[in-house]
Amino acid sequence: MNERHPPRLAIRGLSKSFGGVHALSGADLAVMPGEIHGLLGKNGSGKSTLIKILSGFHKPDGGALEIDGKPVPLPIPPGRSERIGLSFVHQNLGLLPEATVLENLIAGDHQRVASWFINWQAEAARARRLFAEHHLDLDPWAAVEELTPVKRAQLAIIRAADRVGSHNEQATPGLLVLDEPTPFLPIEDVRELFAMMRRLKQSGVSIIFVSHDIDEVMEITDRATVLRDGQVIGSFETGRTDRSEIVAAIVGRSMSQARLVGDAPSGTDAATVVKGLRGRFVDDLDLRVAPGEILGLTGLIGSGYDEVPYLLSGASAAVAGRLSMGGRSHELRRLKPADAIAAGIVFIPADRQKAGLALDLTLAENAMLPAMVQGGGRLRIDHRGNRTTTAELMRRFVVKAQSPQQAASELSGGNQQKLLLAKWLRLDPKLILLDEPTQGIDVGARREVYDRLLEACARGAAIICATSEFEQLEMIAHRVLVFERGRVKAELRGDAVKKSSIEAACYGESRIHASV
Amino acid sequence: MRQSSVGYQVERFGLVLVWLAVIAIFGAMRPETFLSWSNFSSIFGSEAVLVIVTLGLIIPLTAGDFDLSIAQTLTFVSMLTAILSARLGVPLAYIIPIALAAGALVGVVNGTIVLFFRVHSLIVTLGVGTFLHGITLWMSDSQTISGVSRVLMQYVIIHRIFGIPISFYYAVALAAIIWYVLSYTAYGQQLLFTGRGREVGRLTGVAVGRVRMMAFAASGMMGAIAGILYTGTTGSANPNSGTTLLLPAFAAAFLGATCIKPGRFNAWGSVIAVYFLVTGINGLSVLGFRTYVHDLFYGGALVLAVMISQLVSGRRERTL
Repeated sequence: MNERHPPRLAIRGLSKSFGGVHALSGADLAVMPGEIHGLLGKNGSGKSTLIKILSGFHKPDGGALEIDGKPVPLPIPPGRSERIGLSFVHQNLGLLPEATVLENLIAGDHQRVASWFINWQAEAARARRLFAEHHLDLDPWAAVEELTPVKRAQLAIIRAADRVGSHNEQATPGLLVLDEPTPFLPIEDVRELFAMMRRLKQSGVSIIFVSHDIDEVMEITDRATVLRDGQVIGSFETGRTDRSEIVAAIVGRSMSQARLVGDAPSGTDAATVVKGLRGRFVDDLDLRVAPGEILGLTGLIGSGYDEVPYLLSGASAAVAGRLSMGGRSHELRRLKPADAIAAGIVFIPADRQKAGLALDLTLAENAMLPAMVQGGGRLRIDHRGNRTTTAELMRRFVVKAQSPQQAASELSGGNQQKLLLAKWLRLDPKLILLDEPTQGIDVGARREVYDRLLEACARGAAIICATSEFEQLEMIAHRVLVFERGRVKAELRGDAVKKSSIEAACYGESRIHASV
Repeated sequence: MRQSSVGYQVERFGLVLVWLAVIAIFGAMRPETFLSWSNFSSIFGSEAVLVIVTLGLIIPLTAGDFDLSIAQTLTFVSMLTAILSARLGVPLAYIIPIALAAGALVGVVNGTIVLFFRVHSLIVTLGVGTFLHGITLWMSDSQTISGVSRVLMQYVIIHRIFGIPISFYYAVALAAIIWYVLSYTAYGQQLLFTGRGREVGRLTGVAVGRVRMMAFAASGMMGAIAGILYTGTTGSANPNSGTTLLLPAFAAAFLGATCIKPGRFNAWGSVIAVYFLVTGINGLSVLGFRTYVHDLFYGGALVLAVMISQLVSGRRERTL
């Protein structure tokens, strides 16, 4: 780092609130030329708000921005960021898979590529030079969908670096913001990406590296800034800072929630047992959940915990694994949703709008669909009876709506979720699988969802709940499994199921650190 | 409650009211020719084929798929019937199952390509339909084949009940069956979820692939029934008969989805929409307009129907 230069990027007192809630208050951040700077924080800590202000998506309420010592007026007009020396790579990478590497590389580069004629040979030659310069093994004519995930990430990063390098009006190498580019990559690929980032740094590029993974940040960054509740908690020189200090800064002191569950039920005779489960992310998982038990699954993004309910319900095909319950064993590779339902396994997906409810159909139709599949009234639907049943369910599950014949789209998110619970819990399932059961619903409805789940639990159902909300687990889970890279990294039970200890387990030492 | 509101009832029967208004206007202008019973009974009888094609279409449409091949299935089966009957002298009792099986086979071919190769049904059925037309032209040497057994005509057009050819009653019976299946059976609900919430259906155990396959087979068989009736109506098969039926059938299917059960493809709405459209065409031709009004009217109705249904669903979204 060259101390005589002004910072590549300096933010002072940046603030933004949404409807009275401070998403970011008075944030300061400085990134030097040729520095890799980590940005750490939990969901909702203000990381993404900060980045969206830099990309011109949000208009800040107050604060100043300087790039290479020159003040930049805020908000940044959309499409201007590359010219002032900023470029972004988001987690989804923003590539068009069907198009070629070259097409993706020059897509939207209207400043350099004339709109009325593209000299493909010259562009390909330029791309080859660019890739060679950065030691990348990319073929300009290859289709992006045929590239490995790490090559795609490299392409997205080199594209951002190329843009900012060639369009920056200040003629500096600029600053790249890499927003969680690594969570779905295996460790070897993360290393490859880090090597690329180091080479970019050598050529003077500054990088803001956003990640949940403390070990990755410790390994690659020069300094790191931690955000919590919209405020900058501190900036650390990662080489000289202890890991636990950073964890403490991220997590802070958390308020305890009242636990709604007691000790886990001890009877294990009728337990559901899963052995050797493999999926896209989940890697050789064994688990057991007893009747009347709520088992929470969690982890950081990309750790694979959220895949488990899909694999156990037949919603997506498992690579391997068996599930046994009630004396029967199911091959998970071949399990179809209908088999799972017949076995007493129900699944409530996170995507309410697409996978949970058919929004333009009525509440009664949505609630009664399982009966339409499982037989019963196959040749003569009793619409009046279905409406009465649905009305009763709506009373029992406190679904606020005018009539069972309303379209599901007319309900609020919370009421949709309660209807969905009604649809499935009516079947008296033995195993209930949940993915983010309270996503996008308000506090009151949340509590009602918990109450219904606890009731089902008291009637002897086993519940597996995948969620990223640690408070929720503290409130309703008897036991929690914390995932990392597809495997269980920690198990918490009883009084240890606390938001703070789950956080500590999530951010705890990981394999990448151990293998450095 | 929305179901009992006056506005909803007007929406349900709006098309019927418009239809009656159209009859009143043409009736006032040409009372002798247009308002005669013979005119109406011929409309009811001759357009039974179009009703059945439309009913066939709404089955895959409900499941979220298009069947553009249905009109060419009609032509193909119509030609097959004529050749078996007139050229080979096969008795009707054999012809009908053969024809139905041919229609079902076309549906299974459509369904197989759509499901196993994951190609959009619009493209698959467009290709299969054109292919079938090629087969029809080849089979018939591009000639109209006449001399079909009179028995078939007896049971299609010559018998009349209340002065209306019996084919009309076949169409009404099929509409009743489809209405019942769509509204009162579990299969109907599975079909609906396959179209409107395929992932929801799949996760609830609906075999969405099988449902879609059955829908294609059913529309193929409806096309075949329409083909048999077409041959029975004219006593002959014309290798281009179905070509002009596809667009009117789509127009009627979408127009039908704006009434009776607004927002859903439904059997009685389709029947009403067909007769509304052909009444309009008939009235205009009684007034002396020439054939171009067919295209103007059908094309206009299709676009208008889709616009109306978008407006209806858009309005529903705005009230959220």
